[in-house]
Amino acid sequence: MNAKAMEPILGRYIRVSVMGEDCRIYFEEAGQGIPLVGLHTAGADSRQFRHLMGDDAVTGNFRVIAFDLPWHGKSYPPVGWEKREYRLTTELYVSTIRAFCAALGLKHPVALGCSIGGRIILQLAHAHGPEFRALIGLESADFQQPWYDTSWLHRGDVHGGEVCAALVSGLIAPQSPDEHRHETLWQYMQGGPGVFRGDLYFYRVDADLRGKLDGINTAVCPLYLLTGEYDFSCQPEDTLRTASTIPGVKVTIMKEVGHFPMSENPAQFRKYIIPVLEEIRQQKS
Amino acid sequence: MPECSKGSSAALEQELCARFERAVPAGMNSDRHLVWRGRNLSVDCLVQIGTVPFLLRIEEGSIRECRKGLPLLCSWVFAVRGSAQGWAALWQDPPPPGWHDIFALTKRGEMALEGNLQPLMANLQYFKDLVTLPRKGGPR
Repeated sequence: MNAKAMEPILGRYIRVSVMGEDCRIYFEEAGQGIPLVGLHTAGADSRQFRHLMGDDAVTGNFRVIAFDLPWHGKSYPPVGWEKREYRLTTELYVSTIRAFCAALGLKHPVALGCSIGGRIILQLAHAHGPEFRALIGLESADFQQPWYDTSWLHRGDVHGGEVCAALVSGLIAPQSPDEHRHETLWQYMQGGPGVFRGDLYFYRVDADLRGKLDGINTAVCPLYLLTGEYDFSCQPEDTLRTASTIPGVKVTIMKEVGHFPMSENPAQFRKYIIPVLEEIRQQKS
Repeated sequence: MPECSKGSSAALEQELCARFERAVPAGMNSDRHLVWRGRNLSVDCLVQIGTVPFLLRIEEGSIRECRKGLPLLCSWVFAVRGSAQGWAALWQDPPPPGWHDIFALTKRGEMALEGNLQPLMANLQYFKDLVTLPRKGGPR
């Protein structure tokens, strides 16, 4: 075995009961220390966090864990999926995250979510803040204006994988390296039929959080929001508007980054995320 | 993006049209992989730059005709119409944030997609790459 060629990331499955359904969830992890749970974007999977998991500056102090939501990546849908349409709701999303953290026995983890993961971070801050050491929302806002009809994502006369990737390709910053741009798009090409659309049910229909984020206590659970300047889905002004309603939140607008910071341009993203993680590490739990 | 005066706007439109004519048919037809990616697309479509329409006849991914102005009673399947300001920004290298993709432009009202969009959506990345050929450095 060539030990130098081996990456530090380990993958496993865990059985988790979510709202009465048995889910077999795939997750990957690397590092030791403070648990840091990554929440991937809609229609993608935990591979988006592979660069964070390969970064010694992160994994020296954090146990980075990312799981595939049921229906995504290597997590199968629950039994009986073939008889229903997939729709992610706020309740199901929050239940899945909390059940996963409980199943792994994570005490007071940090959660870092992007896009739909960034939206649910706000809900976690609102309803479950004290359970977390800190919360980090990437491309996160309480609401954003839709820019296409999601019915294009799942129909017989358009290839779902290709159209999902082609739609989101414009959300990647022009400066992001080709290798990581196309790796990010490959994730979208591999999603199951209707899964991206089902995630966007949460984003577009079920989780309009405008006016519903009262009571967030950033003294108990620090909240960080970081948004890429090239994200026209969750625009910087969406994040700034959201932040203006939350006392104590810390906001950063990231240069030369789009909607998938950790996946599309890991070198640029680490300039922004490492200081945040260092600040969290130095705070008393 | 800065506002243009009427005169400079017409000059900008002319310059953009010239760039489009120079870059698109030659850029597409000389890129075998891009043509291959569009192999399932044969369609007549309209690309409008400011006030100037172009009729593109695409056959199995190759551009057979790129005609400035429309023939009388000409039909097309779908249209992509953008303001001169929108195309100018899209073709900058790098383009400014919020002006860097056709959907960023539709969201801000600088572009419109019309007609039967099925062939466009079924070949979306191919078409996005086609309309960004005039950007120095090629599609992103």
